[in-house]
Amino acid sequence: MSIELITALVAQASDDSGPLWLLAAGPAGGAATYWAFYRYYRNTDKSHQYERDTIIDAQPVQGGEQQVGRIDRTRDSDIDGDNSGDYRRRVQRRT
Amino acid sequence: MAQEPVEPPPPPPPPPPGDGAQQPQQPTFDGPPLSLEEELAAAKAEPEAGPSIETVNESLKDGLNRCPKCGSTDVRLRGSTGMLVCLFCRNEWQEARVEEEFGLGEGIDELQGTVIASGAEDIAADASQMVTFKCEACGAEVVVDTAHQLNARCHWCRHTLNVNQQIPNGAVPDAVLPFRLTKDEAVEKIREFASKRRLFAHKRFKKEFVPENVLGVYLPYLVVDARAESEYWGEGEVETRRWTEKQGDNNVTYYAADVYQVSRKVAFTVDDLTMEGSAQRADFSEGNTNNIVNTILPFDTKNAVKWNASYLVGFTSEKRDLNVTGLGPVLEDQLLSIGRSQVHGSLGRFDRGVRWEQEKVDVGGSRWISMYLPVWLYSYRQESNGLLHYIAVNARTGETMGSIPVSQPKLILAALTVGTVLEGAAGAILVATA
Repeated sequence: MSIELITALVAQASDDSGPLWLLAAGPAGGAATYWAFYRYYRNTDKSHQYERDTIIDAQPVQGGEQQVGRIDRTRDSDIDGDNSGDYRRRVQRRT
Repeated sequence: MAQEPVEPPPPPPPPPPGDGAQQPQQPTFDGPPLSLEEELAAAKAEPEAGPSIETVNESLKDGLNRCPKCGSTDVRLRGSTGMLVCLFCRNEWQEARVEEEFGLGEGIDELQGTVIASGAEDIAADASQMVTFKCEACGAEVVVDTAHQLNARCHWCRHTLNVNQQIPNGAVPDAVLPFRLTKDEAVEKIREFASKRRLFAHKRFKKEFVPENVLGVYLPYLVVDARAESEYWGEGEVETRRWTEKQGDNNVTYYAADVYQVSRKVAFTVDDLTMEGSAQRADFSEGNTNNIVNTILPFDTKNAVKWNASYLVGFTSEKRDLNVTGLGPVLEDQLLSIGRSQVHGSLGRFDRGVRWEQEKVDVGGSRWISMYLPVWLYSYRQESNGLLHYIAVNARTGETMGSIPVSQPKLILAALTVGTVLEGAAGAILVATA
């Protein structure tokens, strides 16, 4: 995993995004190596994936969407605070 | 959470008298009208307990569990078959599966209120964990510490005594899932897991690693069927345009997007959602490795059988100390996460992502069963920081997960080496392209 990360970093660093990225490759690669091995040994990020491993029988999803605005020019490639894939991060509860 | 206890169904009307002729409908007389004080007292009273499932194994009592064929009390689990075996006459038998016995696989979409099986009921604050028996064979008094085991040998006549009645201390659950993996198989799994993690393992851990010290433990869980509806509100963005602009020597990418208010709602049922029944095991904060034991879930809980303490002979156990009411928020939390995963597939058009801001869950009904699940547990306390590391093996599926103490100097040295090599390569590229 760490080798993939390092390869990705090198690949990212060696495109035309400039010399600053290249100088960051050393510290980033070192930190990535540390965390990759630490997680492989300690498995601190693991837990039961009950969203996937439980027998769930769901009805069709309902809902709606309404356009409320437009962004004409931004450098952000995605929405701020995207949590749609982070199922366990709780947000404000309605009662 | 809509977990209001449900009133038990009214008793059936009395059968029509005599020849079954239709009688005029008469209002049922239910006693004289209540006084104001009585009505106020009734209004303030605690709600009646919800419907329950009685799971006591009527064929067993506390004390001697005898082989149905020869009467011997030398009965234990035979791991390779999952059946009880009499060590005297080799007779094998098993208890019935609770799934069929108590109809646990049925009617989840019709659940109302909170249904609690008798073995999952609240733990009495004054219930002792020590149970004293009078041995039926010799009359000696034998004490069983139910916090760790539910069998004991009579020290005088060597008969095995068992706790089979549901005492209100959380020790006897509704069902038990017997061990299937043998100790040798578990040792092999643990050895394989650790051998893949030797390079950066703590030196002392490697020296003291004795997987043969693994313990077979029945851990307490609550297995929940539930019917729920969850709803989410937030914002999503759809990319409408992407372009690049030249800024000095660099190309900068810009985006334009439409912003939407998004809502989603999904109704669903879950079957055998499993959660820890011990407060200590349910603590997943930093500073412990309980997440390791949690990761080896799920178990094939559909194969759990009616309680019989003989399944526990030769193993240790941990007592349940969490009540259903205390686990209500955990259930809601997990149902919200499940609902989120269910609606995720409907968000495909929002290619810039969705940010959920509010959520809601209504639990229409839930059914709670307490269960002992089998785990092979290897533990190691790291002297330097006092952290208790586990390597756990699911004794049904063989899934293995563990936490291996790391040697920080070795790991930091490896990280520095990789960092230095990368930095050297980056420097070389910069020099070459300058």
